[in-house]
Amino acid sequence: MVRICGWIIGLLALLAPICVSAQPARPYSILVLDQSDLRGPFHYQLWSGLRGVLDARAGARVTIYGENLDLPRFGGAAYTESLKRHLKEKYRDRPIDVIVAIGRGMLEHTLSWRAELWPDTPVVFAMLDERDLAKLERQTEVTGVVLENSLAGAIKAARAVVPDLDTVALVGDAWERQALFSHWSEEIPVATSGLNVIDIIGQKMSDIRKRVAELPERSAIIYTGVFSDGEGTFYPAATAFGLIAETANRPIVVGAEPLLAMGGIGGYVLLATEIGTEAAKIALRILNGERAGDIPPVSGGVKPLFSWPQMQRWNVSESSLPEGSEIRFRDQTFLERYRWQSMAVVAALLLQAGLITFLLHERHLRRDAEVESRNRMSELAHVNRNATAGELSSSIAHELNQPLGSILTNAETAELILKSENPDLKEVREILADIKRDDQRAGEVIRRLRAFLKRTPFETREIDLNEIMNEAFKFLSVQASGRNVALYLQTAPGELRINGDPIQLQQVILNLVVNSMDAMSAIPYGRTVIGRTELNGGSAVEISISDSGPGIPSDKLSQVFDPFFTTKDQGMGIGLSIARSIILAHKGNIWAENQTGGGATFHFTLPLAA
Amino acid sequence: MPGHVHVVDDDASFRTAIERRLKLAGYQVATYPSAQQLLDSLPDDSEPGCILLDVHIPGLSGPELQGRLNELGLTLPIVFLTGHADTPTTVRTIKAGAEDFLTKPVESEQLLGAIERALARHATVRDERSRLGEVRALAAELTPRERQVFGLVVRGKLNKQIAHDLGTTERTIKAHRHQVMEKMKTRSLAELVTLAERLGMLD
Repeated sequence: MVRICGWIIGLLALLAPICVSAQPARPYSILVLDQSDLRGPFHYQLWSGLRGVLDARAGARVTIYGENLDLPRFGGAAYTESLKRHLKEKYRDRPIDVIVAIGRGMLEHTLSWRAELWPDTPVVFAMLDERDLAKLERQTEVTGVVLENSLAGAIKAARAVVPDLDTVALVGDAWERQALFSHWSEEIPVATSGLNVIDIIGQKMSDIRKRVAELPERSAIIYTGVFSDGEGTFYPAATAFGLIAETANRPIVVGAEPLLAMGGIGGYVLLATEIGTEAAKIALRILNGERAGDIPPVSGGVKPLFSWPQMQRWNVSESSLPEGSEIRFRDQTFLERYRWQSMAVVAALLLQAGLITFLLHERHLRRDAEVESRNRMSELAHVNRNATAGELSSSIAHELNQPLGSILTNAETAELILKSENPDLKEVREILADIKRDDQRAGEVIRRLRAFLKRTPFETREIDLNEIMNEAFKFLSVQASGRNVALYLQTAPGELRINGDPIQLQQVILNLVVNSMDAMSAIPYGRTVIGRTELNGGSAVEISISDSGPGIPSDKLSQVFDPFFTTKDQGMGIGLSIARSIILAHKGNIWAENQTGGGATFHFTLPLAA
Repeated sequence: MPGHVHVVDDDASFRTAIERRLKLAGYQVATYPSAQQLLDSLPDDSEPGCILLDVHIPGLSGPELQGRLNELGLTLPIVFLTGHADTPTTVRTIKAGAEDFLTKPVESEQLLGAIERALARHATVRDERSRLGEVRALAAELTPRERQVFGLVVRGKLNKQIAHDLGTTERTIKAHRHQVMEKMKTRSLAELVTLAERLGMLD
């Protein structure tokens, strides 16, 4: 029991500090006093900068009150007095933790009201010029963001934009009405030395528009701010600038970022967002417990910014801009916009080109190899033809002796006729014609033999395969009868037109038939070789050579076309391998099989000529 | 010697050339592009003739034709011609009884000599065969008994032995023997034996 109580007490002791730290903090309040009442882009950006930081860092614990007091357009002691009363009543029951004062005028008012309205409340200023900082020395709990905003900067920007600058035109409301640029009036003598100054300050809008349209060459406009037309009409800042930019005949150096988008060429411009952000950061530090007096004023919110379209218009090169300049609204080039896509496309193209080159190279090598292999095959085929011709010498002799026999007999007959008393000259003439024809026949045999034995490159032309087959079989008939082999040929009707090398195809047929005859040398009778040509579908022709020999051992069927494979005692084993090489070079197929009734059949197919 | 020459050759040009030459030499000539066509027309064997045959002809080959002619009992001698005389073919044709074997191109003198020899041989064979035919005709006139006696007499048996063998008297045998001599138109036993041999009775 005592132990359990001890545990509970221990637990409570552990939980106690957590409970304490989880207690909600008091919500803070920030009052933002803005001297302007213009809902232009500049002020919008400033506010969004402020809010962005406060909302993100402080969350729901900070309440922001905002007042726009429109000081540039309204002034006078009675007005400021009424403002003071108004604010006093308005914030009577709202404790304020930090005041953010935007603009020099607003800061002056805030400090004069502070003792009465918000005693000891820290003040954070924004958009205060450097030279006004000295006036705050006696004030406590004041810090903020200081602007480095000078006419010299504007002139520097003008020189960057117009390199041979000799004239500046100052355009703006009367200096004393300028919230941000009033101190420039004191700078004029120093900053513009050596330059002609055209003063268009505090003029009516209509005059301004007229004068900015007539500026000389080598000049630039330095624009501070116009808020009224000098005749009682007040404009939003952007509207007024737009009217002036419309007629201006020279580039306009501006001091506020939003004017870049309206036709200003650029310059050292105030970055409203950054000013708001910096001021908000300081306010947050104060809310987090730091004393305002311990935080030194920071400077920032001014940057050299230029507009790309205007640079293009006035032909300003990027290199002549001050160091650190940023260019806005630059039209991104295609490559800048689609950098990765472009690179990917280029990479793909390069890859593709490389691949194509590689493939072309491969193809070239392959072509070379094919030509080489074809040449080798042709040479080997030539050697094989020589060997075949030797084997077929009896056929060749027969082919040749046939016409020679006729010639001799005819010549002797003619001789006898001429010797007779009454020679029959008509018959002699016939005999002479026959002799001539037979002589040509013998010549043709020699020519064919030479062609067969010649070393020729592979060359195709359109030929009739039936004719090739007939010639080869006729040539082989002598050999066949000498070896007691019955030779039959069955050709498909009509012509079989193919593209081929006639000599090499004849060689294939000779090789296959001689091979068949060799295969049957051991059988005593019934030696038969049958050749066949037939159409194989509509696109190919099939040739088969069958024999009545012992067939091919089934385990050797796939090897018969291998080089140097032979079953003969005196064979080199190149006949069938050359037959295959030739058929493959003709884009055909060749294979061997055994017939069911005995004997082997060699088949080959060749594509028909288109 | 005049006669019929049957030329078998698949080469039309050669057929024409040979035909011309042989006709000039006084022969009657018939040409055939294939062996089968020769067989189909079955040449007359009764006149002197011979066959001039190319060894290498498509279809029925030269040696095969020779075999078929022998089967048919034709006695026409065959002179072979070849464009190329390879040993196996030569041996085969000679074995089958070729009359002669010539190689193209052949000179007329050689060719005509071979044909002359073939025709002479055919004449001899034919004469022999016609004489044999006469003998056969005579023998056909014999009665069965006379034929029996003929067979025994030419084997040198005595009349007594023949009578004993045939179970008859010597006198009867004598009469038969006389009849045989009469019918076969012979005057001596020696002549009778020669005829018997020709008829193949002594084999």
